[in-house]
Amino acid sequence: MTAILNPRLVGAELPQPGALAIRGLNKAYRIDGRPLPVLQGIDLQVLPGEFVSIVGTSGCGKSSLLRLIVGLEREYDGQILLDGEPVRGPRLDCGLVFQDHRLFPWKTVWDNVALALKHQRLSRREKAERVDEHLALVGLTGFERAYPHQLSGGMAQRAAIARALITRPKVLLLDEPFGALDALTRIRLQAELQRIWAQQRSTMIMVTHDVEEALYLGDRVIVMEPRPGRIRHEVQVDLPHPRERNAPRLQNLRDELLRELTGD
Amino acid sequence: MTALKRLLRPWRGLLLPVLLLGAWELASRQGASQAYAFVPLARIGDGLLELLASGELWLSVAASLQRTCLGLLAGVCGGFAFGALMASSPLAERLLGPLYHALRQVPILGLIPLLALWFGSGEFTKVLIVSLAAFYPMALNAFEGFRNVETRYREVGRLYGLTPLQRFTQVNLPGALPSLSTGLLQALAFAWVSSVGCELFLSTGLGLGNLMMNAETGSRMEVVVIGVLCVGLLGYAMNLLFSRVSQRLLRWRAPRPGDSR
Repeated sequence: MTAILNPRLVGAELPQPGALAIRGLNKAYRIDGRPLPVLQGIDLQVLPGEFVSIVGTSGCGKSSLLRLIVGLEREYDGQILLDGEPVRGPRLDCGLVFQDHRLFPWKTVWDNVALALKHQRLSRREKAERVDEHLALVGLTGFERAYPHQLSGGMAQRAAIARALITRPKVLLLDEPFGALDALTRIRLQAELQRIWAQQRSTMIMVTHDVEEALYLGDRVIVMEPRPGRIRHEVQVDLPHPRERNAPRLQNLRDELLRELTGD
Repeated sequence: MTALKRLLRPWRGLLLPVLLLGAWELASRQGASQAYAFVPLARIGDGLLELLASGELWLSVAASLQRTCLGLLAGVCGGFAFGALMASSPLAERLLGPLYHALRQVPILGLIPLLALWFGSGEFTKVLIVSLAAFYPMALNAFEGFRNVETRYREVGRLYGLTPLQRFTQVNLPGALPSLSTGLLQALAFAWVSSVGCELFLSTGLGLGNLMMNAETGSRMEVVVIGVLCVGLLGYAMNLLFSRVSQRLLRWRAPRPGDSR
């Protein structure tokens, strides 16, 4: 009985936590010696397992925000805490999917996904099993030996998602992951991402400029405004997953968000 | 008609050489002075048999090839390291760049008198010349290749916590590979040309260049022609071999227009 209640053992059974806390975040780039603010006074709390969508016009600093969270950019004011610990650089429990898939053209799909396990002490068999399992998760079984240039945009992005998930990150950041895909592929991959999220239960934060995508996937939608990037509005999407794409509630929220984004 | 075309297709590249041979033979039959400048094909054939029988041709080819390989190896390794260093360190680029780019402008054959003065006219000097000839293009292409590896790929390496060694082998080296292979092909061409070229200038020792120089002194024009043919054919064969290897290494690249598949 006591063994079951031992928090360490329980923690091993439950999905990893992945709480993100951002407080008073400011970020500026230096252009010709003068600071150009890109993010100003960002406060954001993300619960473990939550799906948060961030929408905004281009130049509102939403990509910069993700690069800060993942640790690719290190200079900022304020606090970024992942499970209570400040972010100091890239770490494997926080993954990022870029808009361009960024698969290495010189590696096959299988090797690209396996690359994310380079640092981990796993036997060859364990590694192979995990790669195969994640390729199956994104529906790429049978394309292991293909090179990126032989894949369609949608398939390449699936491989990129598999690569990001294989380290079992607590938080997965997605930077306009479907922005470069055609409309039909985008809809299919949105549904798949929803399925993967429900299966993995990791925290996901997705940046997009597609309001419908943001609402379809997000538990919460954050609206940002540009120059400098600030949080302008926030919407709770109180609908259970999986969702109907044309649910009336989503339609209403969409109108509300579009008003926020376009009008004043 | 189409069947005949298909049969002839692989031999298209031979058409021009065969026409040239015909013109050559025709020219050689226009009188005695022409026969000296354009040696009749039959005499070239006899000369070739003689050179093969005495083993002189084999020795010359082996000497030239060995010198090229040694120099190429040294020059390519040096150029690779030099280019990688300049690409990875801005300080190294500022310190070494100007000297490198200035020296690069001097034709390699123009350095032969100086090098011969310093190091004598023996084998060492020849290998040094060949390695210098290979060094310049290799260093330049290695530098460009490593420097132009895209930041977006480097970021992926950072994201997945690759060690510096892993970043080199998994990201930077393959990213620079197209440029490195260009550098290697150029280095090969320069090495071969300068190997034969320095034999013409430094007349001690063995080599195809020496063979041709000695033949010219002895008015054996057919041997000169054989030397020219050997240099051309061997260079062509080595280039073909290297480009096949690099095509194999770069098979991950998307085929581009004009690639033969």
